Amino acid sequence: MSTPTAGETDEQVSDSERSSNTFLGDVWVNFVRWNIKAVRNRFVLFGSLVQPIIFLVLFTQVFGHAVGNDLSGGTLNYTTFLLPAIVIQVSLVTGATSGIGLVNDIENGMFEKVLVSPMNRAAVFIGKTAAEMVRICVQIAIILVLGVILGAEIKTGILGIVGLFAIGILFSLWFVAFSNTVAVLTKDQESTIIAANFLQFPLLFVSSAFLPLNALPEWIQTIAKVNPITYGVDAARAFMLDANVMEVWNVTAFGGIWNTVVPAVAVLAVLDLALGGVAVYMINRASSASVK
Amino acid sequence: MLGLASMAERTETGEELAIDAENLQVTYSDGTEAVRDVSLSIPRGEFFGFLGPNGAGKTTTIKTLSTLLRPTGGTVTVNGFDAVAEPRKVRESIGYMAQETSVDLEMTARENLRFACESYGVPRSKRSERIDELLDLVDLADVAEKKADEFSGGMKKRLDAATALVHQPPLVFLDEPTTGLDPKARNRLWEYFERINGQGMTIFLTTQYLEEADQLCDRLSVILDGEIVAEGSPADLKREVGGEILDVKIEDGPDTRQRAASIALDSGIFPDSPAVEVTDEGLSITTPTARQHGTDLLVALRDEGITVTGFDIRAPTLDDVFLAITGEHIEEETGDETIAATAATDGGASR
Repeated sequence: MSTPTAGETDEQVSDSERSSNTFLGDVWVNFVRWNIKAVRNRFVLFGSLVQPIIFLVLFTQVFGHAVGNDLSGGTLNYTTFLLPAIVIQVSLVTGATSGIGLVNDIENGMFEKVLVSPMNRAAVFIGKTAAEMVRICVQIAIILVLGVILGAEIKTGILGIVGLFAIGILFSLWFVAFSNTVAVLTKDQESTIIAANFLQFPLLFVSSAFLPLNALPEWIQTIAKVNPITYGVDAARAFMLDANVMEVWNVTAFGGIWNTVVPAVAVLAVLDLALGGVAVYMINRASSASVK
Repeated sequence: MLGLASMAERTETGEELAIDAENLQVTYSDGTEAVRDVSLSIPRGEFFGFLGPNGAGKTTTIKTLSTLLRPTGGTVTVNGFDAVAEPRKVRESIGYMAQETSVDLEMTARENLRFACESYGVPRSKRSERIDELLDLVDLADVAEKKADEFSGGMKKRLDAATALVHQPPLVFLDEPTTGLDPKARNRLWEYFERINGQGMTIFLTTQYLEEADQLCDRLSVILDGEIVAEGSPADLKREVGGEILDVKIEDGPDTRQRAASIALDSGIFPDSPAVEVTDEGLSITTPTARQHGTDLLVALRDEGITVTGFDIRAPTLDDVFLAITGEHIEEETGDETIAATAATDGGASR
């Protein structure tokens, strides 16, 4: 019943047992775990990869035909116009799966298991989010390659490619925060899927994603102007088309594409910080008193 | 396994307590007083049982001791560390197995254990050896590379138990670890818990199963409505019931049973005021003189024309303890007939 040995040998064992947890180590451990899970999860694979590819192919084939040469007086093909929207869609879906992953963890007890472990809690979430950001980058890369094959043209070249990745990540963060907040509030998988995943379709359609704002009905334009997707798509599209595409505001202070990118990035950054703050607060509250 | 209990506390006073909780209170934000006043002193190496019906405050207590909940009042010291001031030190020094099976279904058994090793900072050089050891211990070595969602409930539980022990903590919390398991799986876990306790690990076990507490635990506390209502070894608690139990089977209906109860109470057969309970099957009489005077009662009942179809004298079980303390039978969930039946092997009728 009692401890067989005591004294210095015990101390040594305990020291070596306890010493190897570092902040970066904790980040890495969770990063690896969520990468493994992403690859194994069919929902994640389908939602974040197959679905955007279907969108890209079908929209360009169906709408591309109808829109034809109406865009920018025929100098612009629809694939080029649509590709930024698909980049944003990819970010959106991954943002949604972030909360779904969290709610899964809450439901199967892994959330509690992580909380009762000595891992740094911030590191746990940074690791998880980093895995999602890597996934976004892989998906954007695939979408870009496929888009170029289908005839899209990234007019700002390397700058545009880097810009598209950056905008994709920046854009995803507010939705990551949103879906995680819903997850800890509802602690329910279905609610999180409905709130986070199905929201993407109405949000995408009432924005500048598929058509320029001025081609949309008045009331949709009104909603589109307060829809974060409009800002994400506009910023991405500015890189894609090498043009000031923002229709919400007419900014001229920065010159060229930056007249779109700077205000759009500002809007997204504010949104990221605000919703990120809410999410951190909610997750903190849920983890310091996880009462069912 | 390897050398356990390597970092339990050595307090300045020289006491060796794994858990020291004083006047613990936990009130939820909706006003529910889940834990009203719980004090616990659990020495290192003890197999401690925390017993009580659903909703009595067992899980709330265990979550507070393991830093998942903050106490509203009172103090908690675990392995020498204050649970509120030094939660991370406490977390490093405990294993925790939640009531609901907690494994990542998308990962294999080995990956689950590896993640647990990494979570607890088990040195890289020791990981693979320890994972293999634990897989052997919980009999999952041959399915180590299979995803956990292919596992049966018992296998998941065993995997969960293994992940709680990767860092060889000196103290492990087991919150109803065998709920919902078949008897075979349950017995296997019991053996396992006894083995690690034998190696020096302090175990804090909550359970609704009286047989489980009876068989495994050195000492028990019974919690009811957030307060501890009884403490002691299983034998002590049984002694508190005050005697042995005479079960008499009467099939003639409630009126006859009621009449039989009056006879048992008023005839003076049992000298020191027995506790008589009318059950669905007959009578249950608790008295120190059950053996001496049991047959006298049977004769008296026959003289009154009451037919006795069976009888049995048995030592009290923890269910009797619970009944004596709370006036209620402990809840046994449906599907637990096996436990109820084995719990009563030294008696006759299962309850």
